[in-house]
Parts: sequence; structure tokens; C-alpha cells
Amino acid sequence: MASKGLSDIIKKSPFGPIKAHMEVSKNSTVELINFLESAVNSDWNKATESRKVISQLENEADVLKAETRSLLTKSLFLAVPREDILDLIKLADDIPNTVKDISGLMIGRQMEIPSAIASSFLLFAKEASAITDAAGEAVDHIDELFQFSFGGNAAIKMQELIEKLDSLENKNDQSEITLRAELFAIEKDLPPVNVIFLYDIINKIGELSDRAEQVGHRISLIASR
Amino acid sequence: METIILYGPYLLFSGCVFGFFMAWGIGANDVANAMGTSVGARALTLSQAILVACIFEFAGAYLAGGEVTSTIRKGIIDPELLADSPDLLVFGMMASLLAAGTWLLIASFKGWPVSTTHSIVGAIVGFAAVGISFDAVSWSKVSSIVSSWVVSPLMAGTISFLIFRSVQNLILNTEHPFDNAKKYVPFYMFFVGFVISMVTFLKGLKHVGLSLNFQESFIYSILIGVGISLLGSLFLRRVENTHQVRGDVVFDGVEKVFAVLMVFTACAMAFAHGSNDVANAVGPLAAIANVVQSGGQIAAQSTMPWWILLLGGIGIVSGLAMLGYRVIETVGRNITELTPSRGFAAELAAATTVVLASGTGLPISTTHTLVGAVLGVGLARGLSAIDLSVVGRIIISWVITLPIGAGLSIVFFFTLKGIFS
Repeated sequence: MASKGLSDIIKKSPFGPIKAHMEVSKNSTVELINFLESAVNSDWNKATESRKVISQLENEADVLKAETRSLLTKSLFLAVPREDILDLIKLADDIPNTVKDISGLMIGRQMEIPSAIASSFLLFAKEASAITDAAGEAVDHIDELFQFSFGGNAAIKMQELIEKLDSLENKNDQSEITLRAELFAIEKDLPPVNVIFLYDIINKIGELSDRAEQVGHRISLIASR
Repeated sequence: METIILYGPYLLFSGCVFGFFMAWGIGANDVANAMGTSVGARALTLSQAILVACIFEFAGAYLAGGEVTSTIRKGIIDPELLADSPDLLVFGMMASLLAAGTWLLIASFKGWPVSTTHSIVGAIVGFAAVGISFDAVSWSKVSSIVSSWVVSPLMAGTISFLIFRSVQNLILNTEHPFDNAKKYVPFYMFFVGFVISMVTFLKGLKHVGLSLNFQESFIYSILIGVGISLLGSLFLRRVENTHQVRGDVVFDGVEKVFAVLMVFTACAMAFAHGSNDVANAVGPLAAIANVVQSGGQIAAQSTMPWWILLLGGIGIVSGLAMLGYRVIETVGRNITELTPSRGFAAELAAATTVVLASGTGLPISTTHTLVGAVLGVGLARGLSAIDLSVVGRIIISWVITLPIGAGLSIVFFFTLKGIFS
């Protein structure tokens, strides 16, 4: 058909699979909260179920990451630099991976969360999940931003989303300090190896919020070009 | 001479049949690119697009198709050189129609982006240079046509880039995009009406008994532009700043304003396409008709019979009505990323370029011009991803189409010559 030339030239936006990927990341952090609640209650059957869901979501995320990369063929001219999109998907893909790591480590050692720190621990994790949600919101906003050519109200709204993300991250840093202090207060009464791993889990959850924040910042960088 | 007198009516009749089918093919296939943009952007439904295309393709062909038809008919080869053997001109033009038709059939079967214009120009040059004599071809005209094939996508790309940049600055990147869209879109509508009517008044309409000078054309075109923009403003009044879902596309209020504008640019695009592409089908036929009707004379000041453009127009419309909708649907489904604020810029730029070429009598490829225009919008960061490898394939299709069109028409030419002598 003579029509081939025209429909071949306009390609799908690579942000489609990135948005889907972010959706999967959000679901996986939600499932992480379920997992941690089961772990706090020492309900390892339920935790194993959650762990299965988390692994499955991580697989889905990998497929979407591959799809994003396959859309970015060399001959494309993109509205935003290819490197930025590749960086974005790489950062975003750390979220489901880290969630999987956390759940794997905890289930492998059947880690007990001491009741003295349980509520701070869950709060800390829930905040990390909220940051992922906020980053997802920023990613969803990219379409509108693109429609208005990266300017006007759409750019202002993106700025607001990023500010919200930053304030969530600040709050989360405070929660981490509180949690570490609580753990420090009781660590001498706990088996040392368990303490080492508890700190490791706290680090990993902290990493989760960092990644989510970086995703948000990368999006705002893409937006400002 | 005797051949013409003996077989004249038969030759003319088969010329009409070939020309009609060529026009039919253009309607079934090529129009899709011109209209698919609007359907893809959800500015028009499929049946609205068919209706717009039927009316404006026909109007473009009949009102503004004369100049390009005359180039195909007597610009590429000088008919006066063939005064002694008018039958050769008839065979040659017939062979060109057959050659272009065959090649287009093969190409559409294989899905190659081949241009009708390039096929017919290659075919005419082929039979003239090899079948008659190398000097029978007006090489200066041919080189200006070939350079217009390079210039037209570039020009459309530049115009669409500038139009989309103006949309960004005046409307999209502002605090109140919707209000600004309503304020500025009527000016784009004026531009659509002005450009199309200016070119048509200046270059067409002589055969419908209306001859205007530059000043008159200018004034009438401004009036038409104002009229169109008033009509558009009337439609715009009903557009509200709310979200709306059409198909799987969410329409923002701003896009709805541009969707109204795109109805106008779609009309312009169909008009432009008709004005340029009908010539590919009826230009050779016009040459045949001239020879046959004058009983074998090749008159220097031959006028074109009015029914030729009519036949071409009807051919395009019937192809469109019979098969075109399916191809339009396919194209439209594949380019949903092109929203009205982008699609209008591409269409307006392409239509302007094509209409200018039609006025100058240059046969260009509408599809390639539109591709250039879409690239322009993409380079202005209006599309999230455009594939530049298509450009390479288009260039390859040029390089291939010209010799194949020429080769086929040489074969058909000598076959016809052999049969009748």
C-alpha cells in the first residue's frame, strides 16, 4: 500500500511501557507492606504468598523494561533524549528488584521483627511505598506535559509533584532516624547476627525510597529540557 | 496518421479506461494518507472523512488540477516534435498509463511506499527518451520536477516546524492554553482559506470561465479566508473546556479546539491532493484525447477538453468510495499519536506546499510531502517518537521507481507499436 510511508514514521511513545512499569512497581511496594505485616505477625504462610506475588511482579517489570528498550531503536528521533529514557527505566526497575531482595532475605532467615520497633518499622516501609506512589504520579503526568510541549501549567504541576515527592522523602528520612534509634536502644538484647540483618533490611528500604525519589527527579529533568 | 483515423475511437476509449482506473487506484490508495491523518487524530470519523475527501478531492481535481495535467500532457515531452507521427504520442501515453498502473499494483501488493507521481513521470520520460529520441524529452522541465521532489518535503517540513512552534508559543506553553487556542485558531483557519483560494484563483478556474488578475485574486482570497475563519469561530463557540474520550484517546479541551481546525485542514489536504494527483491519471489521457479528437493533428495551442478532469475526479471519488475507506481506517489506526494540535500543523504545511506545486504545474508526491511535514512537527518535539529510517526507504523508492516506470513503459510502448503497425 502506498500508505506505508506515513504510518511507519510515527512510532509509539516509549512512555507507554514506562508508565505500565511504574504501575507494577507501585503494586509491588503495596504487596511489600502486606508481606512486612505478615512478617511482623510471624505469619510465614501468608508471607510466602506475598513473596510469590512480589516475584511475579518483578518478572512483569523485567518484561516491560525490555519492551521499553526495544522501542528505542537507533533510527528514532525522540522528543526527549534516549539516554534519559534509558536511565529512567534503569532506575525504575530497581524498585521491584529491591522489593524482591527484601522479601527474599526476610523469608530466607524467617526474620522476626522485635515488637519494640514494629510500628516504626511498618511506618517507615509505608512511607517508602507512598514515595513510590508519588513518583508514579509524576511519571503518569509526562503525557500531559508532552501534550503541552513541556511548558505552561503542565510544567508547574510537575514541579508541584516533585516538591511533594521531596517532602515525603524528608519525612521518610526522619522516620529512618527514629527507627534506627529504637533499634539501637534494644540491639544489645538481640542476637548480633539478627541485628546485622535488621540494619541491612532498613538500608534496603531506605534504598527503595531513594530510587523512587530519583525516578521522580529524572522525570523532572526530562521535563525541564 | 492512418492508425489514428482507423483506430482513433478505440484508442481513446481504452485510454479513458486506463486513465479512469489509474484515478480509481489513486482514490483507493493515495487518498488514505491525506485523510488518514484526520481520522487518526479523531478529528473526523471515517464516514465524515470519506465525505470530505469526495467533495474536496473532486473540487481540487476539477478546479485546480489543470496546471499539473498540462505538465504531464505536454511539459515533459514536446508534442510538436511528434507532429509527423502522432500515433507514437498516443502509444507512448497509453504505455505510460499501463506501466505506472502495473508498477503501482505490484508495489501496493508488496506494501512499498511508491509514489504515483514518480511512476508516471518515470514512464513518460522512459518511452520518450528511448522510444522516440533522447531530445524529445524536455530535460530542463524534468530536472525542475525532480528537484521539486526534494524541495517539497523539505518545504513542508520547514512550514510545519514553524507552525507547530507558533502553536507552542502562542497556545500550549501559556498559562491558559484553552482560551488562547480559541483566540488564535481562527487565524490559522484564515490562513487555510487564504492560501488555498489564492493559488486556485491565480492558476485554475480559467476553464470554468473565471479569469482573475493578481489583485482581484488577492482580495477575493482574503474575503474567503475571513469567511472561513468566521465559520470556524462559529463552530468554536460550542467547544467547551472539558475532557472527552473518543475511541481510546482522551481529548483535552485544547485538543478539541484543534480538532475543529483540523476539519478545515483536512478539506485543504483533500483539495490539494486532488489538484496534484489527478494529473497522474488524466494527463496522459488528455494527450491521447487531443490527438484523437483532432484526427491525428498535434495542435500547438490545444486546449484541454473539460471532461478529462471530470473523468479523473469521478475516478478518484469512486476508488475512494469503493476501497478507500478501508485503507484510511488502517492508516488512521496506526497514527493515533498524532493529536489534532500536531496533525493540523502537518496537514496545513503539506496542503500549502502541494497547492503551491499544483499552481506551478509541478507534479509532486503528496505522501512524501506529508511525511516531510510530519517530520517537521517531530523535530519541533511535537511527537514523542518518529522513525527517521522511513526517510531512507522513501529515497530508495524514488531511485527504484524511476527506472522501473521507464523500463515498463518502454516495453509497453514497443508492444503497442508492434501491434498497430
